[in-house]
Amino acid sequence: MPRPTEKTITFTIDGREVEAIEGAMLVDAARGGDIEIPVFCYEPKLGAPVGACRMCLVEIEGIPKLQTACSTPVRDGMVVNTGTERVKGAQQSVVEFLLVNHPLDCPVCDKGGECPLQDISFGWGRGNSRFIEPKRHFVKPLALSPLIAIDRERCILCYRGVRFSQEIAEDHQLVLLERGASTFVATFDGHPYVAPFSGNIVELCPVGALTSRAYRFRARPWDIEGSGSICSLCPAQCNVTFTVRDERVLRVLSRDHDGVDDGWLCDKGRFAYQATHSDERLTTPLVRDGEQLRPATWERALAVAAGISRHAGSAAALIGGETSNEEALLLSRLMRDGLDSYDIDSRSGGVLPLELLRSLANPALQATVPDLEFANTVLLLDADPVDDAPILDLRIRKGARRREMQVLVASGRPTALDARAAEAVRHAPGSGANIACALDAALSGDTQRSATLARDGGADPEAVVRLANLLREAGEDIVIVWGERLTDGPSGAAAAQALLRIADQLGLASRDGAGLLELSRGTNGRGLREVGALPNSAPGFGEPQREGRGWNEIATAAAAGQVTALWLLGSDPARDASNGEPWAKALASAGLVIAHASTLSPELGAHANVVFPAEAGAEREGTVTSPDGRIQRLRPAIGHGGQVMPTAAVIAAIADAVGFEPGFSTGSKATEAVAEAVGFYAGLTSDEIGGRGIRWQERDAASALPAGTAGETAAPPAAAASPNGSLRLGTYRSIWASPEVEISPALKFLSRSATVEISPEDAERIGIGNGQRVELGSNGSQLEAVAQLRSDVPEGSIFIESGLTSVGLSATEGELVEVTAK
Amino acid sequence: MADLRDEDVIAVQRGPKAGVARGTYRAFGETLRGLKTTLARVAEKPLTIQYPEEKTPVFPRFRGRHKLHKFEDSGLEKCVGCSLCAAACPADCIRVVAAENDPEDRVSAGERYAAVYEINMSRCIFCGYCEVACPFDAITMGHDYELSDLNRSDLIFTKEMLLAEPLERTPLRTEDE
Repeated sequence: MPRPTEKTITFTIDGREVEAIEGAMLVDAARGGDIEIPVFCYEPKLGAPVGACRMCLVEIEGIPKLQTACSTPVRDGMVVNTGTERVKGAQQSVVEFLLVNHPLDCPVCDKGGECPLQDISFGWGRGNSRFIEPKRHFVKPLALSPLIAIDRERCILCYRGVRFSQEIAEDHQLVLLERGASTFVATFDGHPYVAPFSGNIVELCPVGALTSRAYRFRARPWDIEGSGSICSLCPAQCNVTFTVRDERVLRVLSRDHDGVDDGWLCDKGRFAYQATHSDERLTTPLVRDGEQLRPATWERALAVAAGISRHAGSAAALIGGETSNEEALLLSRLMRDGLDSYDIDSRSGGVLPLELLRSLANPALQATVPDLEFANTVLLLDADPVDDAPILDLRIRKGARRREMQVLVASGRPTALDARAAEAVRHAPGSGANIACALDAALSGDTQRSATLARDGGADPEAVVRLANLLREAGEDIVIVWGERLTDGPSGAAAAQALLRIADQLGLASRDGAGLLELSRGTNGRGLREVGALPNSAPGFGEPQREGRGWNEIATAAAAGQVTALWLLGSDPARDASNGEPWAKALASAGLVIAHASTLSPELGAHANVVFPAEAGAEREGTVTSPDGRIQRLRPAIGHGGQVMPTAAVIAAIADAVGFEPGFSTGSKATEAVAEAVGFYAGLTSDEIGGRGIRWQERDAASALPAGTAGETAAPPAAAASPNGSLRLGTYRSIWASPEVEISPALKFLSRSATVEISPEDAERIGIGNGQRVELGSNGSQLEAVAQLRSDVPEGSIFIESGLTSVGLSATEGELVEVTAK
Repeated sequence: MADLRDEDVIAVQRGPKAGVARGTYRAFGETLRGLKTTLARVAEKPLTIQYPEEKTPVFPRFRGRHKLHKFEDSGLEKCVGCSLCAAACPADCIRVVAAENDPEDRVSAGERYAAVYEINMSRCIFCGYCEVACPFDAITMGHDYELSDLNRSDLIFTKEMLLAEPLERTPLRTEDE
């Protein structure tokens, strides 16, 4: 869908001729003339204005009554007055009315000092009140949820929070109850307002009615400093401001960036900062002493880690998703050039051929995040944004709600956007490749092949054809959002080729607003690939000196004794992979395991030889690359807690100890080294990235990306296993499955235990009920979990949550498991 | 060094030399006039105050060491930890860290109280803005001015010190003084 064209008109405000965009609301248009019209309820991010608070009344010539500037679009030649006695009188009266029931407990209110109601009362109010009757009273404060406190007395009924819940997050939980002066915000039946994006209502509330319980009474605006950075907890890489007081992060606020997050944050991004100051966080290096890991000095820990020089040629590095471009480049240099080891990987799903990686990185094929809002159609291929990159879920909902964008879904596990979808195709878990190939065949008119592939993938062949037809008629701009899991396993190459062919058939490369958008598993999945944290690629997708082993081969090689040292840079393979069991074996057989972690999982605790404390998000420095290629800067907001050292400095110290000189470690020099190593980042500096980041596809250096080919056609993906009494295993990772959530006091209530989602039909057949403990078995490995019945899970499949310490099954996605009641 | 040219030299203009009478007056008369002041004070009692045994009384509005107050009836602290004093303070010497009251064991009357309340007396300029800013009259300026100490860190007054009644060391000026 083409972006709306903007026409400029001229209107008069307070005697001044001002240019504005036609159709803009008067409040926004007035700002062009440097005139501020006070508002409470108006918030363009929330969609159409409601005119609830009446604060923005202005006089428009030709209209007898005062009009709300927030809901009156500006027109050419309009004459507006905001300073007449009539307008002033109205503003003063509105403030007086709003304050009739407001308790004015500013000294104890958390909003005090940054409160629009204070500012507007001061600027536009009459300064005193004629109201002497008793005010309305409510019990206060109440817990709206474990994260949010509500003080209903302070509420001015602006609808912002309710509108967010109803129209942005679409969780439909918050409502206004009762009528008149007794109106208050609550959930309908009084249940806690728990939702992935609930924290945003705290930032939206223009008074102190909705406040964060984690930030309750922590600081005043004059006690704190804001420090802009990037949230490094998921690939969305939302822009945030850390609120810092006395070297402690107390709060995370959104730093509105239309190209990234549209001004929203998920609750994990907003509250998981608490992990930084948690007692459970590791802040000293640990060194193995017999059975136990014990705190040690840095000298000793670095000496143990430097022992990796004895494993030169047989060391492997697994680079976790949160690693920055600089750290990944530094470690891969050390491994390749210093330790003669080429087993480096950052993709846990398997190795994709270099040619395909290059083709998928083609700038012409790349959709941007705002494209999700303006496209005609968005297709989700084996991706669920609410878990993979939560903030993009809101972006897709926005497009669907405001621009009637069509949403199509093809996934194994039911997604949060199914209800919004024109067509939702379910396939067997792990068979995304089949559906991509089937869709490609259907688009090219080969219905016979499409049907076979769809059936192999456990999907309804007719639904795939319907999906293809919808895509064909979808209009010009189509964005395909695909999850990294689509290219997992042996059929990954086939899936990637199918994706490229689908993009080719739909002509995505030729349109600006269309393209592919990958949701990687790790925060910096894209950046890690681009700086060459792969076994088969040099930085910038160049030809590698020598190919190494991929993620899963490293596990096998370690168990077989071919890989003797493992360097886990922010990765915990036994935890990150659903099939933790092979990794537990690999860790046990490796001679040296170096880990960087902020918490200890049981596997690391049992097998790591040295554990370096990882940096927290607010302490980090470096660059990361978002799924649409935007390079953004992580900037330190606080100093390092405890004895924590910058990860890059640790790697550099070990490099020094093994006698390798990488030429850079931290700071802008490291960023320059990345720009030098990656051809299409050439010339990039910290200054150019700045506070808003820059997409490398938009720079001249983008042409340095080596052109890719589709390569040889890969073998078609294998058919999904037929359940035949057993169940197909699917995995998912919810946003709450992370160590940060587990150790943040505010979020602890959301931390996950091993659950298995099962369809009611299967549950009945096996004889288990909701909440019952079940045992999953496969090839002799067992896992206990709690059954959760979910009606939209397709029959024959189950989904277990990965990313938990307690998951240790040897089966991978798509394989069969036995489920028995416990 | 540059040459001193004629135009750079300014000659000092002197008056005529004093005569004998004027010279004598200068030598004795002026001296006597000065001695008159000195001799006039000889009869007076000394004004020296034997500090620290004796102290100068201060005016009622004298701004000395701060005091934090409690409600007399309930014994709860008046301070709710709103930090307005810290915002008003031009010397940035007040630090407030608020916390939430436990309804079972209240510290202050409202929802919040000051868990930490510190004034760095070595920075304070005794302007009294904190007193003006306080919405609950929880902090006032007392009369105590004897605040010197041997250690800078001892000059950071904690909430307990500010809540405690200071030693009544400073006499207040009476009406007619």
